[in-house]
Amino acid sequence: MSIEVQYRDRAKELLAKGEVKLVIGYGGGSTPNRRRPVFASSPEEVDRLVLDSLCIANLSGYLVTEGLLSDEKKVAVFLRPEGIRSINILAAENQLNADQVVILGFETAGSDIRPLEGGNVLDFSEFIVTLSENRVVSDSDPVIDKLENMSAQERFSFWQDEFSKCIKCYACRQACPMCYCRRCIVDCNQPQWINTSAHTLGNFEWNIIRAFHLAGRCVECGNCDRACPVNIPLRLVNRRMAVEALNSFDHFAGLSVTQEPVLASFKKDDTETFIL
Amino acid sequence: MAKIGVFICHCGENIGGRVDCSKIVEALGEHPGVSVSVEYKYFCSDPGQESVKKAIRENHLTGIVVAACSPRMHEATFRKACAEAGLNPYLCEIANIREQCSWVHSDKDMATEKAIDITRSMVEKVKLNNNLHPIEVPVTRRAMVIGGGIAGIQAALDIANAGQEVVLVEKEPSLGGHMAQLSETFPTLDCSQCIMTPRMVEAAQHPNITLLTYSEVEKVEGYIGNFTVRVKKKSRFVDMQTCTGCGDCYTKCPVKKIPSEFDCGLGRRTAIFTPFAQSVPNNPIIDKDHCIYFKNGKCQLCVKACKFDAINFTFQDEYLDLEIGAIVVATGFQVQDTAMYGEYGYGKYPDVITGLQFERLASASGPTAGKILRPSDQKEPQHIVFIQCAGSRDPSKGVRYCSKICCMYTAKHAMLYTHKVHGGKTSIFYMDIRAGGKGYDEFTRRAIEEDEASYLRGRVSKVWQENGKLMVRGVDTLLGRPVEVEADMVVLATAMVPQPGAKEFAKTIGIGYDEYGFYNEAHLKLRPVESSTAGIFLAGACQSPKDIPDSVAQASASASKVLALFSKDRLEREPVIASCNEATCAGCWGCVLACPYNAIEKKDILDRSGKVIKQVASVNPGLCQGCGTCVTFCRSNSIDLAGFTEKQIFAEVMGL
Ligand SMILES: Cc1cc2nc3c(=O)[nH]c(=O)nc-3n(C[C@H](O)[C@H](O)[C@H](O)COP(=O)(O)OP(=O)(O)OC[C@H]3O[C@@H](n4cnc5c(N)ncnc54)[C@H](O)[C@@H]3O)c2cc1C
Ligand code: SF4
Ligand code: SF4
Ligand code: SF4
Ligand code: SF4
Repeated sequence: MSIEVQYRDRAKELLAKGEVKLVIGYGGGSTPNRRRPVFASSPEEVDRLVLDSLCIANLSGYLVTEGLLSDEKKVAVFLRPEGIRSINILAAENQLNADQVVILGFETAGSDIRPLEGGNVLDFSEFIVTLSENRVVSDSDPVIDKLENMSAQERFSFWQDEFSKCIKCYACRQACPMCYCRRCIVDCNQPQWINTSAHTLGNFEWNIIRAFHLAGRCVECGNCDRACPVNIPLRLVNRRMAVEALNSFDHFAGLSVTQEPVLASFKKDDTETFIL
Repeated sequence: MAKIGVFICHCGENIGGRVDCSKIVEALGEHPGVSVSVEYKYFCSDPGQESVKKAIRENHLTGIVVAACSPRMHEATFRKACAEAGLNPYLCEIANIREQCSWVHSDKDMATEKAIDITRSMVEKVKLNNNLHPIEVPVTRRAMVIGGGIAGIQAALDIANAGQEVVLVEKEPSLGGHMAQLSETFPTLDCSQCIMTPRMVEAAQHPNITLLTYSEVEKVEGYIGNFTVRVKKKSRFVDMQTCTGCGDCYTKCPVKKIPSEFDCGLGRRTAIFTPFAQSVPNNPIIDKDHCIYFKNGKCQLCVKACKFDAINFTFQDEYLDLEIGAIVVATGFQVQDTAMYGEYGYGKYPDVITGLQFERLASASGPTAGKILRPSDQKEPQHIVFIQCAGSRDPSKGVRYCSKICCMYTAKHAMLYTHKVHGGKTSIFYMDIRAGGKGYDEFTRRAIEEDEASYLRGRVSKVWQENGKLMVRGVDTLLGRPVEVEADMVVLATAMVPQPGAKEFAKTIGIGYDEYGFYNEAHLKLRPVESSTAGIFLAGACQSPKDIPDSVAQASASASKVLALFSKDRLEREPVIASCNEATCAGCWGCVLACPYNAIEKKDILDRSGKVIKQVASVNPGLCQGCGTCVTFCRSNSIDLAGFTEKQIFAEVMGL
């Protein structure tokens, strides 16, 4: 039985038995190689679900939709490993109750797709620990390596070029499960720290602030990168911050539902390299 | 409409010599919203303050900026002047054009321009300042003294004798610290234990002192006047109420060969033990690591020996949460491990010992009952070589600083030795003799003149053994030639270094420390007994190497600071506190975790039927210390700090 059929059956059963009120999964998109989210609240709708290696978006962000989980009923959601980690973060940051989330987990490698055993996020604990242990810091990415080898000046102009393209559409923010604030800092105008008009300085302010807000929280799902209409390689910024959090503070984002945010917690053995 | 007064102070030549104050007056005079812009030689002087008050009254000013020194110096002065002139004191801002400008620049034109910018930015800020009113908080009148050496005991006694409650916490089984280990003390050569033990007993019996020995501070929360301290009372496995200290247990204990920490490894102790005969309290403890029962469940000979059934192997550690108003840290020092000087042979040759070990040999209570005998063969040495600065003033292997006491105790050791071993010879290798202090130089002169200590100026390069003797090779820099001296024993004056784990402990209680781990005072000259954290004071060798007189003096000084704090019922606190915007807070609890004072609570927002619709952060104004940590953390900018609001900071930055 293909994994798609297997998971459809499971989704159907969950809805039929009333264990969940909604299943969030993937469906066909506007072109053959695109997938879009599908929200199924009855067993009949489940047949629209698709599961293949093109299903890469992190759907966890839909769970924090205002009011969705306030009736204490459960919701099932299709998640890749990064998505499962983002459930941990959202739970650790008090944005949802992880027990209300039934995870339909899967993993892709090339065109291969495998199921991940479990339902509650706790069932994936060991799997995530293994991920964190196998996380290769220098995880080779030719562009990252190129950037690392640049001089500070060259790197600055690289980002200047990239950020100058930003049109401040905030699609990256909208797509990111971690950008759940009711009011984003860019929307503050008393005082207006970040310029709203799309010029390079204001764009820098926005993108750098977002990078800091995602430090130690970004799970590298790539939602923002894919959402960006002008193709700014946001994943490079996020990857760099993740490596920093890992190297400096041994912090792997989304390790558990009780993980403390790296920028708000203090450990006695934290490095003090920044204190003169 | 803003009517701001700007007062530019020359601070004599301090500011006036480097920046053109008239230019600042002129520039600020034209700045929008400024109605008064004047300069004066010393605004902090009486006439200076009067002129500020007069300007406020006559011009109905809505805020003032004093461009002068750091706000740490005179913010309070000018706030008071405002209050006296009828202006809310928080409508006063200081533009620091001294420390941050005139003192650090040499180009007058550029410095003047910078001073104008700094002042402008503060004018922009003060325009947005609001009236604020001080907050009052209660003070818990109970002090905690951490460390029961001479410094801690002195501080505890001074506070207790003034009628206030003290909790004295000592991590070892007995009070006393290093002073209990010493033989006789410079510069008067009085017996250390004879002057120490009465203090220990007094502290233990004082009705205002609660003594917690064999206990450690695990956590400090709260702030000045209102700390909560968690103390772990480690289990002694001996009930202190029923134990009489008779000692039957340790005479029966079969494990007898444990090197005694108190005797620096020169003596032996049992697994159930008191560190020394005059221990206070004198109830023994069981050393779990060496006790046979804890290894294999057998033995219990001590239990059988105890007539009072005081020993119980099931006793557990206890935790106490104590409400404390002020803390004195008196955790002392340790002597540096000299193993890094391989060439001196410490650890390799038994007759190369440290100064502290020599103290134990010279003590009547020590392993040799006060006789100076070599550890290797228990024979009386006829010639002792002392090596000073074995670790101190040695940036390459030891520590850079001078340990301050070693010159003195080495002279003392030489004297004690010649008093005890008639005809004994001493040679002392030294770099300088530092004997500043009352009666100190006279003391070292006495060692040379009356007790014939032979001082050789120079460092030792090697110690080795030859024909049963220790050979010491060094240089005599005054004669300009190498020397080799034959000795029966070598004593190293090892450096005084912070306690092991001193840095960790500083983080636990939240105070600052230097590169070595000595605790930092708030100001080396003017606030030498206050730590950088309000309500936590320092005493003794935990702050820097000190002898007994200095440790005691600092202890009494910190006790007086504690008593001053306890002289009031309530403490006035700055109204600089945070508040949360419930409409925008995302309830992520980042600030709750980040707040070092646990001042932020989780609050439920309910709908009309009482159902929780969201959760938000809520700052407890009584606990908030205004540090601003939460503000920097909050991603949605939902927390703001009174007196330093986002709007004010923004205006300040844009004013530059
Ligand atoms: C060889 C030698 C000879 C000396 N001779 C003289 C002399 O002749 N005359 C003189 O004036 N000075 C002399 N001194 C100096 C003298 O020993 C010190 O000045 C004095 O002991 C400092 O007292 P203190 O209370 O600050 O520290 P300490 O004596 O070190 O006491 C600190 C106490 O705090 C306890 N403690 C540590 N950490 C903790 C914790 N985390 N919690 C609870 N308790 C803790 C320790 O167990 C100890 O009991 C000599 C020193 C040495 C090394
Ligand atoms: S920042 Fe981008 S990659 Fe990181 S979690 Fe958010 S959407 Fe995913
Ligand atoms: S999605 Fe791209 S263009 Fe839009 S705000 Fe983000 S970075 Fe800028
Ligand atoms: S950090 Fe900001 S958003 Fe998060 S709980 Fe605190 S105030 Fe609310
Ligand atoms: S300013 Fe914020 S972090 Fe600092 S004490 Fe107050 S509530 Fe806590």
